[in-house]
Order: sequence, then structure tokens, then C-alpha cells
Amino acid sequence: MNEEKETQLSGEESLKLISEMIGKAKRSYITKGIASIVWGILIVVCSLLTWAQVQYQFHLGFDVWLLVLVAVIPQIFFSIKEKRQKTFVGHDEITMRFVWTTFGICIFILSFYSSRFHTDDITSLFMMMYGIPTFITGGIFKFKPMILGGVICWGLSVGSMYTPLSTDMLFMAACGLFAWLLPGIILWNRYKKNQACNV
Amino acid sequence: MFKELDPILHSQLRLAVMSLLISVKEAEFTFLKEKTNSTAGNLSVQINKLKDAGYIDVTKQFNNNYPQTICKITRKGIDAFEEYVKALQSYMNPNGQ
Repeated sequence: MNEEKETQLSGEESLKLISEMIGKAKRSYITKGIASIVWGILIVVCSLLTWAQVQYQFHLGFDVWLLVLVAVIPQIFFSIKEKRQKTFVGHDEITMRFVWTTFGICIFILSFYSSRFHTDDITSLFMMMYGIPTFITGGIFKFKPMILGGVICWGLSVGSMYTPLSTDMLFMAACGLFAWLLPGIILWNRYKKNQACNV
Repeated sequence: MFKELDPILHSQLRLAVMSLLISVKEAEFTFLKEKTNSTAGNLSVQINKLKDAGYIDVTKQFNNNYPQTICKITRKGIDAFEEYVKALQSYMNPNGQ
């Protein structure tokens, strides 16, 4: 777009340009979904290992859920890397940051509660919590897999009130799969497809 | 009676920049350059015109020793953009007024 060549735009051309630019900006919103994939894998693995320990009566020698703390490191690394590469800030980014920070703090408090009172009976609450940011994120970005993931978390949360701990862990693995892992893979594929289109 | 189109916005590159900025909270100069496929010089001139009109805020800063220009649409810019789109729609669909 050079000033020298700039001609008076017709009504149609102006509207077409506006819509084209808004479309370009929207396509820039596509994230890689790496955080979603990392956390999805983590929840699925930790839940299945916990289920296996209860089901087959063995102990790994450490609390597998401590892996969650290990995942925070790559999460911070990828977030900083992504932030450095980004050349714009979206309207909903700050809202999202607050939603997921709130979620992280609440999960930490819930874990602390569980540890303090030595109770494993709060898996339903964890699943309910998983559904909240997932549903909000899906709703704000009109991303159906995450909306569905949030609803599945809540459904499994209710279901887990009637099942033993070992089954709860399978439910929790399903939460990780449907709320984060699968939506993350869909986001990653979209990102790759979008990149291929831009080449 | 047709509304007059805002001459500041009725220019290809300035309209493209405003359309991008209305879609995001803020954007770097490089983002605008890439999306509009414009030259740095031309984009810089058009950004200054939008800034002088009070339609955008421009902040210059350093990030890791690299100069960074961040543009953000202002309230006045949003109002002007909305008015421009309304005026365009009235041109396109005069019976719909």
C-alpha cells in the first residue's frame, strides 16, 4: 500500500478493506495451544498414575501430582517466549490472564486444603474448578471444543460424587483430555494450517 | 442526505491501520507493517496523520535495546471509525436509512 498509488476508495472497496484487515487481525489471535497440550498431558498422566496406584496397590514413592509444579517451569518459558514474539495485544488477553491466574490460585488453595485436612474427597471440586476457566475461555474466543470441555468437566464432577476414588481418577483423566489436551491439539493444528496459508 | 466521509479515514492505508487497531488492544509498528504490506516510510507518515488527528496514541519505547513503536486507538478514533462505517453503509444502502 503506497501513498503514491493511493486512489479514492469506493464504498465497496472501503468495506472490503475493513473486513479484510479485521480478518487478518483475528487470524493473528490463533495461539499454538502449547500450554493447553502440556497441562492436558500432565493431568491425564497424573490421574492415570494415581488410578493405577489405587487399582493395582503399589506406590511410586513420590506424589505424582508434584509433577504439576515441574510443569510450571516450561509454562513460564513458553509464555515468555510467546510474549516476546507477539507484536500486538488482544482485547481479551488481560481478562484471560486474570481468569487463569484466579484458577491457578484457587487450585493451589484447594490442594493445600486437601493436604492440610488429609482428604481425597474433593476430586469433584477439582473437576468443577477445571470447568470454570475452560468454559470461560471457550466462550470468549467462541472455541467450541473448550466450551464442550468445560461442560464435560462439570458433568464428570457431578458423576464423581457417586463413584470411588479410583474411578474419580479416570474421570479426572477424561477432564484433562477433553478440556485441554484435545482442544490444545486442535489449536496446534489450526496454528500450523494458518502458518502454511501465510507462506 | 448522505453523511460526508471522514477524509482522514478515507484513505487506503490509514483505513487499514484503523481497522487493524480497532481489532486489537494495541499493536507494534511491525505488526501494522506486516499486515498492511506497506513500506516503513509510508506507514510512518500515515500513522503520524492519525496521531495528529487524535485517532491513535503512539508510544515509543525500548525493548531489549530495540526501539519499539506501539499504537493504540483512542476513544475519538473509535467514534470516528464507527461514524465512518455508518456513513459508508448509508452510501451503500440509501433506502435503509
